Amino acid sequence: MKAIVERFNPLFKPKTVAVVGASTKGAALPNVFIRRIRELGFTGAIYPIHPSAPEIDGLKAYRSLADTPEPIDYTFIAIAGAQIPPLLAAAKGRVRFAQVISSGFGEVDEGRDLQQQLVDAARAGGMRLLGPNCLGIYSPRGHLTFTEIGPRPAGSVGVVSQSGGLGTDIVRRGLNRGIKFSGLVTVGNCADIGPSDMLEYYFADPDTKVIGMYIETARDARRIFEILRAEKARKPVVLLKGGRTKLGLAAAVSHTGSLAGDDRAWIALSRQTGCILAESLDEFIDTLLIFQTLTPRPDKPTERVVLFGNGGGASVLATDTYARLGLEVAPFAADTIAALAELNLPPGTSITNPVDCPVGTLQQDDGRVAEKIVDIIYGIGKPEALVMHLNMAPFVGRSKPEVLDNVVLAAMRVQSKFPGLAHFLLVLRSDGDEQIEARKREFRAKAVELGIPVFDEIGNAGYALKALRSHERFVQSRRG
Amino acid sequence: MSTNNLISAAKKEGRAALDELAGKQLLASFGVSVPKSVIAKDEATVANAIAGMQPPFAVKVMSPEILHKSDSGGVKIGLKNADELAQAITTMAAAPQIKNARIDGWLIEEMAPAGQEVVVGAVRDPNFGPLVMVGLGGIFVEILADVAFRICPITRLDAAEMLDELKGVALLNGARGRAPASREAIIDVLLKIGGENGLLMQHADDFTEADINPLIVSANGAVAVDARFVLA
Repeated sequence: MKAIVERFNPLFKPKTVAVVGASTKGAALPNVFIRRIRELGFTGAIYPIHPSAPEIDGLKAYRSLADTPEPIDYTFIAIAGAQIPPLLAAAKGRVRFAQVISSGFGEVDEGRDLQQQLVDAARAGGMRLLGPNCLGIYSPRGHLTFTEIGPRPAGSVGVVSQSGGLGTDIVRRGLNRGIKFSGLVTVGNCADIGPSDMLEYYFADPDTKVIGMYIETARDARRIFEILRAEKARKPVVLLKGGRTKLGLAAAVSHTGSLAGDDRAWIALSRQTGCILAESLDEFIDTLLIFQTLTPRPDKPTERVVLFGNGGGASVLATDTYARLGLEVAPFAADTIAALAELNLPPGTSITNPVDCPVGTLQQDDGRVAEKIVDIIYGIGKPEALVMHLNMAPFVGRSKPEVLDNVVLAAMRVQSKFPGLAHFLLVLRSDGDEQIEARKREFRAKAVELGIPVFDEIGNAGYALKALRSHERFVQSRRG
Repeated sequence: MSTNNLISAAKKEGRAALDELAGKQLLASFGVSVPKSVIAKDEATVANAIAGMQPPFAVKVMSPEILHKSDSGGVKIGLKNADELAQAITTMAAAPQIKNARIDGWLIEEMAPAGQEVVVGAVRDPNFGPLVMVGLGGIFVEILADVAFRICPITRLDAAEMLDELKGVALLNGARGRAPASREAIIDVLLKIGGENGLLMQHADDFTEADINPLIVSANGAVAVDARFVLA
């Protein structure tokens, strides 16, 4: 297990990086790559490889991968496909990982031979190959990135994506939602390294706690099954599978150029290994987020859920959605209702479950009433999960800004006041108004810092909660 | 004959699938119950062939050229003695889709006790390898596609969860006046087919598809009444 971590360390934490395809004019993708990793704080050696230029972006250039002063941990390659095999073959065992961004290989009929030449050349050159037809790696631990982002701390979510574009979406959207990555690798055509290799690595990597995979065509599906089967959901794995329908499949074949597995096999995989099958990119990100922030409790899988917030219709609709997901939003027992009744909340407040408090109610005591309600739900109601949802728009113009602050503050304090008692999820609902969006971003950043997952809608939180429960149940059922 | 010999013999003969008897011998070698059976060459040999067997009997045509035996008029059931069997064979041999086909013989079987019809199937996925399937027989499989798949090998818990995944699972408990069917018997068959040392793991590359249809499941056990193994 340690061996595989050490084997992949040069990829995730390279000391030396070579870049092939940067131009003296500084406009090509590899030039952008150099700028981005410097911005992200990469301080190791960067070796541009160029047939003639003495210098690129102020860095001394070398003629070949075999000519650099130090061996190369990671090479980023974006040049015409046909030029790559001779480049790799000449590396003389001095390159650990080469990532080929260029396309025109196995994903198109006329590129199949070239892909085989690429694989042979990588083997001859003594390196492992990522891609071709991908975008790169995002590894905050190693200060590598293929997408434009500012410096971000490393985290515990490790992802492998067959699609480069979707990999970009996962990184950017994920970061905005508060996901912190231990890495995201795009593997494209998987000519050498495939999703199963990255799955094996992330299971072994001590920094990774949650694993995400976007897969279109998996020639290594059997190995994925065997790894997942052996690991018994030791770390939660969230799988987004493209090409599960017949139409989606046609798109997948033209996209990466090989036969795809069947939907029923992927459903079977999920049922018998406990990995979570996400249905959409949003669900994938929501699910990674909930596993990053909340600790699964296999001893007491999530069954009873309390909904608390403002918006009567929204809670009714959410209760329906949760019922369809098999999450129980059942009325409180008498003791909880009695305790809530003692708060003497204004008419129009519903104190069963869902707890529906119009803004008028939440304004009481400048919003501090929210904390009292939460205390009772936790202390007496004792659900497995509390979903607190705030429709932000009705607060605006009706109450002082600190009311919403205090309500949100009540949410923020839950984790520290009641550690490990119930899963806490926050839903911040916005109507898209600029001012509200800005406050939502601010609240979300604070909440995620405190380990509270924040969702855009109550339903989204429900799907994530269902995934968490499914993981908890699986782990419980597979315990020796 | 060993299981490997059964398969290589069928391949050598250029068959697309194992014949029913070979399929059942294969199942029996993995511990799946199959009806007691015998092959009669023709009407005249029936009486000797069935000595020691218990009625009622089923009789089926054995022919590599006939894939769908019942649709071709090649199956008769509920026969009580040698005379009825002989007459059934005469009738079947004259059926339009049978009379010009190559006939290997007539498979005479003791009929399984009544029970719930279950289908256990298999398919080889190009990426995942063998998958095992279970469904309740008849319309549940054919019309409603109420089936559950797992990737082999499966565990006992996987097999139990496959049954619980079926919408019609309540029928196994004897819903709507039916006799209850043994869950454990179905789980045992699923493990013998799709388990760690099961048929599919040991013959992963030999078959593209397989069907036990029906597996008749009573309160006490399960019997594979028909089986088809399509050779790779």
